[in-house]
Amino acid sequence: MHLTALLWVCMQAALVVAWCFTDMETGPGAGVSTQPNGDRFKIEGRAIVPGIKTQDWVSTARILVEGEEYVGFVRTDGSFAVNDVPSGSYVVEVVTPNYRFEPVRVDITSKGKMRARLVNYIKTSEVIRQPYPLQIRASGPHTYFMKRETWGWTDFLMNPMVMMMVLPLLIIVLLPKVVNTNDPEMRKEMEQSMNMLNPNPELPDVSELMTKLFSGSKGSSKAGGSSKGTRPAVKRR
Amino acid sequence: MAKLILLCLKFIILSSAVEAVFEDQVGKFDWRQEYVGKVRFSHFDTHVQSSKKVLLATENNVFAALNTRTGELFWRHVDKTGPEGNIDALLQHGQDVVLVVGNGRLLRSWEINVGGLNWEIVLDSGSFQSACLVGQQDNVKHVAVLKKTVISFHYLSNGHQKWIENLPESETVDYQSVYSDGNGEVYALGIVPHSHIAIVAYSVEDGEIIKQMSVEAAWLSNIQASCVVISQGMLTCVDPLTVSLYMLDLHTESQMTQIPLQSLGLEVAPGFHPVLVSTQPNPGRQPLSEFFLQLGPDYYQLLQLNNGQIVTLRDFKPAMLVSFATTGEKTVAAVMSPKNKTASSLNLFSAETGRRLLDTTLIFNMDPYGGKPEKLHVQAFLKKDDSVGYRVMVQTEDHTLTFIQQPGRVMWTREEALSDVVTMEMVDLPLTGTQAELEGEFGKKADGLMSMVLKRLSSQLILLQAWIAHLWKLFYDARKPRSQVKNEVTIENLSRDEFNLQKMMVMVTSSLKRSCTVHPLSFFPVKLFGIDSKTGSILWRHYLDNIPSNAAFKLMVQRTTAHFPHPPQCTLLIKDKDTGLATLHVFNPIFGKKSHVSPPALPQPILQSLMLPLMDQDYAKVLLLVDDQYKVSAFPSTKNVLQQLQEMASSIFFYLVDSTQGRLSGYRLRTDLSTELIWEVVIPAEVQKIVSVKGKRPNEHVHSQGRVMGDRSVLYKYLNPNLLAVVTESTDLHQERSFVGILLIDGVTGRIIHEAVQRKARGPVHVVHSENWVVYEYWSTKSRRNEFSVIELYEGMELYNSTVFSSLDRPHAPQVLQQSYIFPSYISTLEATLTEKGITSRHLLIGLPSGGILSLPKMFLDPRRPEIVSEQSREENLIPYAPELLIRTEWFINYNQTVSRVRGIYTAPSGLESTCLVVAYGLDIYQTRVYPSKQFDVLKDDYDYMLISSVLFALFFATMISKRLAEVKLLNRAWR
Repeated sequence: MHLTALLWVCMQAALVVAWCFTDMETGPGAGVSTQPNGDRFKIEGRAIVPGIKTQDWVSTARILVEGEEYVGFVRTDGSFAVNDVPSGSYVVEVVTPNYRFEPVRVDITSKGKMRARLVNYIKTSEVIRQPYPLQIRASGPHTYFMKRETWGWTDFLMNPMVMMMVLPLLIIVLLPKVVNTNDPEMRKEMEQSMNMLNPNPELPDVSELMTKLFSGSKGSSKAGGSSKGTRPAVKRR
Repeated sequence: MAKLILLCLKFIILSSAVEAVFEDQVGKFDWRQEYVGKVRFSHFDTHVQSSKKVLLATENNVFAALNTRTGELFWRHVDKTGPEGNIDALLQHGQDVVLVVGNGRLLRSWEINVGGLNWEIVLDSGSFQSACLVGQQDNVKHVAVLKKTVISFHYLSNGHQKWIENLPESETVDYQSVYSDGNGEVYALGIVPHSHIAIVAYSVEDGEIIKQMSVEAAWLSNIQASCVVISQGMLTCVDPLTVSLYMLDLHTESQMTQIPLQSLGLEVAPGFHPVLVSTQPNPGRQPLSEFFLQLGPDYYQLLQLNNGQIVTLRDFKPAMLVSFATTGEKTVAAVMSPKNKTASSLNLFSAETGRRLLDTTLIFNMDPYGGKPEKLHVQAFLKKDDSVGYRVMVQTEDHTLTFIQQPGRVMWTREEALSDVVTMEMVDLPLTGTQAELEGEFGKKADGLMSMVLKRLSSQLILLQAWIAHLWKLFYDARKPRSQVKNEVTIENLSRDEFNLQKMMVMVTSSLKRSCTVHPLSFFPVKLFGIDSKTGSILWRHYLDNIPSNAAFKLMVQRTTAHFPHPPQCTLLIKDKDTGLATLHVFNPIFGKKSHVSPPALPQPILQSLMLPLMDQDYAKVLLLVDDQYKVSAFPSTKNVLQQLQEMASSIFFYLVDSTQGRLSGYRLRTDLSTELIWEVVIPAEVQKIVSVKGKRPNEHVHSQGRVMGDRSVLYKYLNPNLLAVVTESTDLHQERSFVGILLIDGVTGRIIHEAVQRKARGPVHVVHSENWVVYEYWSTKSRRNEFSVIELYEGMELYNSTVFSSLDRPHAPQVLQQSYIFPSYISTLEATLTEKGITSRHLLIGLPSGGILSLPKMFLDPRRPEIVSEQSREENLIPYAPELLIRTEWFINYNQTVSRVRGIYTAPSGLESTCLVVAYGLDIYQTRVYPSKQFDVLKDDYDYMLISSVLFALFFATMISKRLAEVKLLNRAWR
């Protein structure tokens, strides 16, 4: 019961805030002008590093608003407040040397109404709402370092160059051993298969073949046509 | 879509090509030193026995906890600069520290074990006067803050306000001090100068005024300077005019009783304002009845209030500094007295009796190149036998902290002046003795063939000997465990390494920027440091006093170490910004010693200084100084130099900038060392003001004259060495009308090469000018983001005169290309990498407020980045245009070693073309090396020697075996 009531209040608050900001959507410059009356507001929120105790990181954390224009510190429970901020639009960042936090843009109206949205430097007027008070969750530790290229046998063997070199070598060395070439039956079979692979008994010059192939392929789009075209050329020789 | 994918792919490929730090390189080539600044308040953590913390609040708006054993930081909190982050008061209770910040604007409570914030509250406006902890019967629960017009009372546990009261008659009464001694009352002490003291007592419970009284005191003008509260609430003041003490009991309404110092047998040094020093060890109890009275610059008297009578306990003469310290129930007084010229001794005295405690002498050796001691921070502790032991942190005028243990062992020193580096240079280290011997051989006149041969042989022998000694040392060290091998760097064994990677960093420090907060009469320490760039150890320091309060500095290297046997020479130009008068400090950058060369006296204000590439017969570069009469003087000014100057005069040009009137003017030197105006550019000062003028660095080399385009033609760069980039900002700061302008002016002819205006933009503008490009960064008020813009200048497809560049003979205006980008962060400083020959590609080093130093390839800031990818642009390796520049943490050259408040980045070439030395300074100092095009000229440090040698061996054996096999086979075939 209590929870639902709270939820209702939250909803209402969100509605009110949304209504207040409708006039703000006009342009990015709307919230900037500094107020003559000099009202100062407070940006509040909480920074969370999942899985890490707050006391392990709060001492190195700072809250930077617009660069170092306004500075806040993180409480021992991870919450923070930046005091004395005039109305305007600000980028709020949680800065720690070890954890990465996404920055958030906070708009403060001259009446002190707050909203938070995603930072978008290209479409500056785009509004993608973020919760306010801010809930900034670390997206993991910073990755500062490159991985060293480690060297392993598998890397070496899987290298395409090595594969290209080693595989034919294996075939050349191993095939004659596996297949007994002295067996006449086998020899016959091999000759047959060779004939199937290469229909012409005498092999043409490779370069000649290539030029033929290319000139032939230019003429006809079909691969089969080109191969047919080469045959008489070879026979003519 | 396909294009987007291509773009992404391109990005991935490019970003993977850019170098980053490897994890195993951490600390290998880089180091960081963290500083806090000049200490304003310090407090030794005493709430736990054997605590190792000392809490410091500094004038740089830093609050930190140091480890007293090592001097390293436990944690540090850096607030914003300026008066808004100024720390007004530090109060410690238990494991909490309460700070009053920003002239009483904020009240913060810190948890000192973790270093996290407990709470922070905003106080009402009003200028801060004083604050104190309020306790009752040893139970401290509140803090009272006194402001100009109000006094407020807060709970220590959560900062909530218990009560706030307006101070009565605050228009006339100047309330200055607040006092409480645990009896349920808080006293606000105010004064109407030269009239009376106003005392208001508030009830701790509800802030009700218990009593209010005003006491006649026509002689008193400032409570904080001349009064303390001692014993059972006795307000004690000292009056230098009548030379007497005045005492007033705060609890009973009464008159001030006057006690002439003469009646105590005391005398004040003439012209000295006496000072009282008291102590209140526990805010819940009364202050001690003993107090110090300083009667002269080196004369202290320990007094005691005993049954309403002042008793003299002991006099200390000569004594430089005194301080109280409390441990447990015992309070002691530490007194520092001079021993001899270079050392002083510290002793402990019992506060109650003034007796000297046995075995408490401690010797403090003063640095002859340092400042005088200024403040004592004493940490007293009880030893096992219940006697009092102590350690002391001595703060000297040059902001050095030295922590000393009995009997004088220095546990650590911190040169806090290094938190305020204003300028620096890197100087090559000298050659070793043997190298110099070899060099000397060539310098001398030839004296016969035989002797030359002998000399050569002997020097070769010396080299051989040195090499063998080196090998032997290597061998010897290798046998020892690694931890024992120490490579202590001292001035004596400093020498240049093979690749000139180790250099001497000469740093000039000065805390002048905050002159508004510092007392105007206090002088401004300027300290020079010589730091080994490899290890970061300070090799020499030199303290300069008598520096004007508003000075600008320029450090120049007049002679490098290359001219043995002439010593290297650096010159520091110190110019008073108000009067323009300048002095020169000439010193040896390797040893820090003042040079024998006496600099010229400069009676006239100096407008401009310039280093010429000319050298005198002793290889010192000539420094020209232009005074306000536009007369030029040279240093050194020997006959030789003057003659050279006369010959060169027609080709020496210089420019002057007057930013207040917006005038840029170019001058030429005449042979009689007077000058003539040759051009003038006036930028209307009421519309825009000149914020910076940047030329190119004189030691910069450009390797390639042009860029090869996709169609194999060459686009030649416009490499004008005299080009100046002038940045202006509009005086109108309205977001719709503000603008940033950039002018490229030829410094010799005054010809405006290019002009660009960025509308709806404002500063601060950071600018880098190098080769044929200018990169600048500004804040776009329209889109509320930071933007980078790059201007590149090209001559075109043909080079007008490829041998020499002359500003006077360049008829064609260069082609100008410009492009802008969004940068997703604020920046603090900007610099470009620099290498020996300029072959290596350039990177921009960007100091970010988060403390990271981003190394951004210049490739991303290239106005030729195409919007539509074509075959040609691909051929040229141009990255397709993307509006937003990326910040990748892999590009942070300082990984997690953040540099707080980075103010400047200094880059210097090393002997290796691939390597650039980088020093970032701000509150911290960080030194590292960067390799913008990776290490192409040295083997990588992860080079796999094992692999290459095993492959070689394997191949070798394989050939051996196969040869043998082939032989066997041949033999077998022959048998067949």
